[in-house]
Amino acid sequence: MPIQTIALFRFIMLGIVGWRFALLVAILLLVAALGGSFIGELAIINGQAIVAAFVADFLRYSLALLTLLIIAASVAEDYEFRQFERLLTMPLARWQYIAAQTLAIASLCLMLSLPAALLVALFSDAPTGAYWLAALWMELFLLGLLGLLAILSLEKLPLAVFFALAVYLLAKLSGLMTLIVAESVKLSEGSVTSRTVETIFNAILYLVPGLDTFADNDVFFATADRFALLVEQGVSVSIYGLFLLAVCLVDFYRKEFNL
Amino acid sequence: MRRGERPLRLLPRPLIAGFVLLLAGQIGYHHAQREGVESVYRPLAEPFSAAAYRGLAMGSNGLLAHLLAIRLQLHDNQAGQHFRYSLIDYDLLVDWLQQISDLHVGSEYPMLLASRIYTQTASPERLRKMIDFIEQRFDDDPQLHWRRLAEACLIARHKLQDLELALRLAEKLAAQPASVEMPRWARDFEFLLLSEMNEFEAAIAIIQALLQSGSIEDVDERRFLREKLLDFQQKLLDSRHSTRE
Repeated sequence: MPIQTIALFRFIMLGIVGWRFALLVAILLLVAALGGSFIGELAIINGQAIVAAFVADFLRYSLALLTLLIIAASVAEDYEFRQFERLLTMPLARWQYIAAQTLAIASLCLMLSLPAALLVALFSDAPTGAYWLAALWMELFLLGLLGLLAILSLEKLPLAVFFALAVYLLAKLSGLMTLIVAESVKLSEGSVTSRTVETIFNAILYLVPGLDTFADNDVFFATADRFALLVEQGVSVSIYGLFLLAVCLVDFYRKEFNL
Repeated sequence: MRRGERPLRLLPRPLIAGFVLLLAGQIGYHHAQREGVESVYRPLAEPFSAAAYRGLAMGSNGLLAHLLAIRLQLHDNQAGQHFRYSLIDYDLLVDWLQQISDLHVGSEYPMLLASRIYTQTASPERLRKMIDFIEQRFDDDPQLHWRRLAEACLIARHKLQDLELALRLAEKLAAQPASVEMPRWARDFEFLLLSEMNEFEAAIAIIQALLQSGSIEDVDERRFLREKLLDFQQKLLDSRHSTRE
């Protein structure tokens, strides 16, 4: 069983990794370094921290988008070329496909986080780089799982990317959305409609990850307990990641394929 | 397989002409717009609230606060031109600095902009606004902001010639507990300003209290204080003599 899963994982990775992938990551690193250096030139004080924080955040969002696109495109190809039908005729359980995809996501996230963290360490220091490696890996991994769930359920690449990005941004911007909803309730003098919207929105927030699930960029400006931050993020990512995997499995086992 | 392309000369001529015309129109329109804005100062917009920026920061409050501060710092440079600080609405400027400070309380940047950049104006009213901002935000983190308050004190003394304001700021600096680490000269502003205001008795009392407290261990600092003490005592005597005469 594990041998089949690992073989499938290798097959998935071969489809992902290539010279185009390496070139794209190299370009992103270069753009981040150039952009960060430009901003560093403008800063009067705290230049090093600002550059490192900018590079870290630029790479975080560009690599998040890249992860999402790679994962979703990989599974979308499986749908397009009827790969599932072929795979399921083999002695391979459905959970093994999810397990192989999870391994592929974890490896891909490590391949993306490592150069990003090295660049961040170059602009700041080794402990900050190490923190960013672990924190970014967890963030990308969670987003990868979200992308996997989206593409398995929706089956279409644009829909899946849009859905996963929407959930990611909703989680990231939940503070702003909460503020807007609370303000609308206040302005409408507590009308039933706005209160209903507020209740629905608050209920939705239970299904999206909180801000502690993501890498904390403020470590570049304050002496925070990074280990405590990582533990908190790890717990949050584990709970949400397992939840996403469970939904993936339920959804994948329910799918009908013409075998 | 890559799809082949037909040569450009085979395209309908009206299509090519239309494309060239629209491209020229776009370039011309863009150029005209750029020329129009070049010499016109674009005033500061109202900032959002710190809470809104916090929501927009997506967790990167420190980075957004610094980027906003840099954007504010570059506001006087527009379309390749530097505009005078007198064109800037200082009420809005203070509002921006407040929101940035609220967004990331541990940031020194807004206070630095207030003390070093936006005090480069001859207008006493504007200078007071900056000093008020510095005085107000100093309490957020005295350890981080003592330099800015010391600078504000100097600005009040030398640019505004307002000894009372300078003394108030110096008193605030001197009143900080010993846990706030700053050089002695920052705490010495108070008695130096008192002496300038001919308040020799108060200055002497402060120096004597400092010397007797035993908190000053540095030999040079103790010598400096003793010299100042003698100097002020002499000046006090001289002033009393001249009053009697």
